[in-house]
Amino acid sequence: MKRSRMVLAALLAGVVALAVAGAGLASRGSTPFKVAWIYVGPHNDGGWSQAHDNGRLYVQKMLGSKVQTTYKENIAVGAQFNQTVASLAAQGYKLIFATSYGYVTPTVAAKYPNVMFEQATGTLVAKNVSEYFGSAEDTIFLSGMAAGAAAKCDTIGFVVAYPIPEVIRHANAFTLGAQLMHPGVKVKLVWTNSWFDPAKEKKAAQSLVAAGACVLGQNVDSPATGQYAESQGIPWVGYDSDSSKFAPKSWLTASVYNWGIYYLKRVKEAMAGTWKPGFYYGSINDGFTKLAPYGPSVTAATKAKIAKYEKMIENHTFYEFTGPLHDQSGKLRVAKGVKMQVLKGGTNSLYGMNWLVQGVIGSPKG
Amino acid sequence: MHVAVERRLRQPRWLAVVVPLGSIAFAFFVAALVLLATGIDPLSTYRQLFDAGFIQSGSLDQTLITTTPLAFMGLAAAAAFRVKLYNIGAEGQMYMGAIFGSAAGLYLGGRGGAAPLPIAAMVVAGCAGGCVWALIPGVLKAFFRTNEILTSLLLNYVAGLILTYLIFESESYWRETKGFNATVFPTGKPLPPSSVWPGWTLHAQGGVTVPLGAFLAVLAGVVVWGLHKRTRFGFESQVLGDSERAARYAGVRIRRKILAVMALSGAVAGLGGASQVGDFAHALDGDPNGLQKIGYGYTGIVVAALARYNPFATLLIAFLIGGLQNAGSTLQGPSFPAGLVGVLQGIILFSALGGEILVRYRFRISRRSKGEAASAAEPAS
Repeated sequence: MKRSRMVLAALLAGVVALAVAGAGLASRGSTPFKVAWIYVGPHNDGGWSQAHDNGRLYVQKMLGSKVQTTYKENIAVGAQFNQTVASLAAQGYKLIFATSYGYVTPTVAAKYPNVMFEQATGTLVAKNVSEYFGSAEDTIFLSGMAAGAAAKCDTIGFVVAYPIPEVIRHANAFTLGAQLMHPGVKVKLVWTNSWFDPAKEKKAAQSLVAAGACVLGQNVDSPATGQYAESQGIPWVGYDSDSSKFAPKSWLTASVYNWGIYYLKRVKEAMAGTWKPGFYYGSINDGFTKLAPYGPSVTAATKAKIAKYEKMIENHTFYEFTGPLHDQSGKLRVAKGVKMQVLKGGTNSLYGMNWLVQGVIGSPKG
Repeated sequence: MHVAVERRLRQPRWLAVVVPLGSIAFAFFVAALVLLATGIDPLSTYRQLFDAGFIQSGSLDQTLITTTPLAFMGLAAAAAFRVKLYNIGAEGQMYMGAIFGSAAGLYLGGRGGAAPLPIAAMVVAGCAGGCVWALIPGVLKAFFRTNEILTSLLLNYVAGLILTYLIFESESYWRETKGFNATVFPTGKPLPPSSVWPGWTLHAQGGVTVPLGAFLAVLAGVVVWGLHKRTRFGFESQVLGDSERAARYAGVRIRRKILAVMALSGAVAGLGGASQVGDFAHALDGDPNGLQKIGYGYTGIVVAALARYNPFATLLIAFLIGGLQNAGSTLQGPSFPAGLVGVLQGIILFSALGGEILVRYRFRISRRSKGEAASAAEPAS
């Protein structure tokens, strides 16, 4: 007993001595504007977080020495996020892009009134909190068209993260696109309950192929699904980033984000003192979402048809979430001619969508 | 030449000081080599590490957020491991404590400030939740001789899935269902204000908030220590841990002891779960990207091992590891890969644990023949 107490005393003494020795070495340079990004997965995940990190690098490149950017990766929602924010605030970071829903809570926002928070995909707007995202459903619809055209059977597999409206509307958009090119095609879902889990994603892809899927798509962050598709020689539609290098033969295309344009605008505003909280929803028109370059197997006819729909979406002459839309049970959810809206309409809004369209196999509850 | 590892007959006192210090120094030396090899200045890295973990204004506040759960998880492991019951299930028992504890808080809480009744109920419910979950491998071990390492470990995944199910895949009592935000992303129902655990602010380092859970962890440490050192239960379970046959001859009721130790271990882990809800999250956190991603229950085993299963040492080690983990997110960034943070933490833990062997054993280099060396190295204890 005595001995272990002494061990601890010695351990503590060592820690304190090292800390005191280190504390004298503090140094300060010039003061660029400090901006931080917080990611749910690794910054080079080949998907979601990497797309955000490309945005960060774009900001750094455009503003040079006027800004100092950093990122924190693999940060858990809750206690770990709060600790990360505390340390960033202590280091003088003024603007924090939290790139996943559930990170910024009213409590954290209130605790750091001088920090400007930006959160992707959420709805919490407050005095120092903005929300941002974009209509990936449009480009996912287009990527779904590529999947539908490539499908030689009647089942497409789709690996999905969480049973939440964001993922549900993306799965729906993908299905509607696939059905346009391949009437009657079914889209089968497997949930991984994680944004980034290559092992689970691969298992999900395996089980989908075993269940008869001849094309794969995804709404998760890693390219594991694509790697499996490549090994099986079946086509794959990615998400978030151009990850064609992970599956050069299987790669069809993907809906990708250009976060950089929004980040640059907001960082400039924050530096100029004109930053205001708001809700940004980007689109194809402002370059926020687009389709990644096509893979080798996409035919010219498919490309032409996708290009046609892309143009129509840009001109607002076509919108995939226009009624009539039926749910899995065949019930009419959105009446003929009615266009779904981002926030309005409860469970019939894009942000509240908790039902899957006809032709999707799987449960919207996970 | 022959190297023999011998158990030390006596463990001189100075060793207990020199070895840990040496281990830590060795760890920092090896880590410095790794840092230099990756082109990073070790000195400034270490300064940042301790600054962010313990020194900087507000850092202790954040360190306590990790220390509190690690203390509970470490104690849960220590309570079982020291009698050689390997309960790996503190993680799952913590989830169950969180589920039970938040149910009590949601049900009994009302408006107004922190109230004793709902908070006491959360403490009791949290303990009960962890206890019930730990008794499953306990019963299997006591009555069917099932390996508790496997059963308790696998039940962690079951508990995690239940936790996720309650918030993400059902409209359970724990899930917030009111308002548009609740449909956009599933979250736990916030605790009513009277169920939120209080914290006490120390006027040091720009205000350090000590959560109620931290005090309860210290109390749990005293209880675990007292039960083991000052009661017949502690003595009997110690005998059982050392030799089941001896315990049987001495008339120890073995099944009862196994159940009691597992219940104690689970209750402490469950209390940690209730503290997660009451002290920090203020709602049940079912996000697989949240509580489940951190893995306090597993780190707790390392904490307990470093503390040699001594409850008080566990509390202190939890504080040190808590600081190290808190500092981890400060270090990482574009020029400092997150993986390297893990490598640093790993080297420090590995050296601290590995140094232990020098306290208990000594290495003897001799030129004698193998047979002689073996007979000389006969264990003396």
